[in-house]
Amino acid sequence: MKRLLLIAAITGVLGGARLLAHHSFAAEFDDKQPIKLTGVLKKVEWTNPHIWYYVEVKNPDGTTTMWALSGGAPGQLMRRGIRKDQLVVGSVVNVDGFRAKDGSHNGFGRSVTYQDGRNVFTASAADQQSK
Amino acid sequence: MLRYTRSLLLMLALAALTLLTPLSAQNTPAPKIPRTADGKPDFTGTYQWPTYLPGAARGRSNATIFDSKNFAPLKPGGEPFFEPRTGDPRHDEPRDFCMPAGFPASVLSGNAMQLFQNRNYLVWVHEFQRNTRIIPLDGRPHREGLEPMYDGDPVGKWEGDTLVIDTTNFKRWALDDHHYTNGQEFRMHSDALHTIERLRWKNATAVSYTITIDDPKIFTKPWSQEFEIIAKPEWEKDGLYEYVCQENNRCPGGKCGSN
Repeated sequence: MKRLLLIAAITGVLGGARLLAHHSFAAEFDDKQPIKLTGVLKKVEWTNPHIWYYVEVKNPDGTTTMWALSGGAPGQLMRRGIRKDQLVVGSVVNVDGFRAKDGSHNGFGRSVTYQDGRNVFTASAADQQSK
Repeated sequence: MLRYTRSLLLMLALAALTLLTPLSAQNTPAPKIPRTADGKPDFTGTYQWPTYLPGAARGRSNATIFDSKNFAPLKPGGEPFFEPRTGDPRHDEPRDFCMPAGFPASVLSGNAMQLFQNRNYLVWVHEFQRNTRIIPLDGRPHREGLEPMYDGDPVGKWEGDTLVIDTTNFKRWALDDHHYTNGQEFRMHSDALHTIERLRWKNATAVSYTITIDDPKIFTKPWSQEFEIIAKPEWEKDGLYEYVCQENNRCPGGKCGSN
């Protein structure tokens, strides 16, 4: 049931979850630059105005790149039952989102998926419509 | 004789009252609502954000926005209601730089709220930006000589079981979060904005919340929209979460930089 709820949330079904209210999606992110990352979740900042989490991605040449990814506001996430401990540091995760407008290694991470398929939503897919 | 006359008058009065009271009112008990010790409706508590009534047009962000069906006609030659985005992030996304939402956008932001009421004040705290409105209920007039404000200058009064909040002295600012739905334009209110909020318990858990927009520089007449606010006593355990916008605002204006 919990898994169902999380999947419902990630598709924006749960409570019409659209979590960017502090600013619009387009203020910081580029919907023409979708990103799909796989790496190790290294840090979570459960802070306002939006949570940020950091994923270390291994590059083909053996180096690594740290990506910073933004999600919803902590209060709005918690009102929907999503808490910090659902983002487990040290886990390998797949992140689906959009790159920052300035082309840096920052982005909007609209979903986080663990290797066993569990989804944790940090912001809903509907957010990308908030421009 | 006097006692007989009094009894007769009392019976006649009761009969008249019964005849004058609509049948539906006779059959429908008044909803049991929270009240203060002095009998006023009590809005003290924790609430969900105002939500749309059925049929209202919705925006794309989680914030609630006004339905254009409710708008009054624009005043010919009046101040512009729609303001285009300019490409300057400080103009187009002031909240991205932690500027305030301003009323009424603040109350419609889609975040929890907590209200505290006593005889003299209603204090309305929004989780979003931890914005606080202090609303005198003691009959005082609006303050004079102040600079225009993002939230304006509110005063409240009772009309029966309805709390009426009258707010003036606004700074020109975005009316609502329409610009997150239509990325091309803002809907602005002028500095002549005057709002009237009406809060009334519909039942023990739901408050009818109507905002009237009276902006004579923009509209030919006032217009209103009703929303609903649901009490969330289960949220009181946690209370409102802290919101410090400057704490980790990493990408203001879309400039994130390196990690």
